[in-house]
Amino acid sequence: MDCQLCQKEFDAYREGKLSGGARVQVEAHLESCLDCSVSFQLLMLANKVMEAEKETLSNPFLVTRIMSGIEEMDNKGETYSQLPAYLKVLKPILISVSLAAAIFIGVLVGNIYFQADSTRQIPVELSYMNDAALESVEIYSQL
Amino acid sequence: MTDSEIIDLIIKGDRNLYRVLVERYQPMVFRTCMGFLHNKEDADDLTQDVFIQTYQTLTAFKGDASFSTWIYRIAVNASLNGVRKSSKNQFLQRLGNVFVSDKSREYSFPTSDLENPENILIHAERNEWVEKALNSLPEKQRIAIVLSKYDDLSQKEIAEIMETTEGAVEALIQRAKANLRDKLSSHYKKIKN
Repeated sequence: MDCQLCQKEFDAYREGKLSGGARVQVEAHLESCLDCSVSFQLLMLANKVMEAEKETLSNPFLVTRIMSGIEEMDNKGETYSQLPAYLKVLKPILISVSLAAAIFIGVLVGNIYFQADSTRQIPVELSYMNDAALESVEIYSQL
Repeated sequence: MTDSEIIDLIIKGDRNLYRVLVERYQPMVFRTCMGFLHNKEDADDLTQDVFIQTYQTLTAFKGDASFSTWIYRIAVNASLNGVRKSSKNQFLQRLGNVFVSDKSREYSFPTSDLENPENILIHAERNEWVEKALNSLPEKQRIAIVLSKYDDLSQKEIAEIMETTEGAVEALIQRAKANLRDKLSSHYKKIKN
């Protein structure tokens, strides 16, 4: 028996569903092949974990919680209030289109500019003005 | 009373009859949610959401499939959405776990192991291995293996829920088991080295 065949029979072997001859072959292979032996142990572990989760009990008040939630929903008038299918599709489309439109408008507005064409010349006197030599305001506060 | 008769009466106004359906199907919905979420509190919350969603869409149930098939489909879809949502928050969860110990896992450990803290830690780590391996399976394989292992459904029932053939379900389950074995083996080899 090769590894591939042996691994296919793991579940049946674990559940005791194999015939005598097949069971003996699987056992012999597991004794001789370390990889398959480890794989089988890991499979047993996985099944153990899944069985433990399967046996986990839900909250004992879960049914009461569900019925309270439904009662609350009925009181708010939300019973059978399901959005029509087309609205469920329309909402994300509208949001996407709005975002795209906003980006487009932003780019458009950003591209509206006027090239500077001012040809006014600065008065010659101003180029000789030295701001540092001007009287400071503090002089007047001391008066 | 059959499920269809109960649903007819609920739609006509007898809301309290819905409790019958909830009590009938709550354990199986909870097990399905546990198979995907691996956390009791999350599974409780999701089970509640599934039943509320089912109640809201009762008028859409036409009886083409059985009510159990219908509610299984809702539970599977809700669980997958829950898994996608939680994977987005995983970074924040990991950050939170640095400061707060995760006490939300409740498994039925063998009694003798509860006396040994080292065994508890080993159990918790092993559970995490297996959960990670299960969570990493492709979606369809994961659905098939959860419905098979957690709900003990036959391939025919799983095929009806997944709207596929029995042959496809068998192939999915075999591939899921092989993937699970490979992932656990590679993790084991990493730890051993």
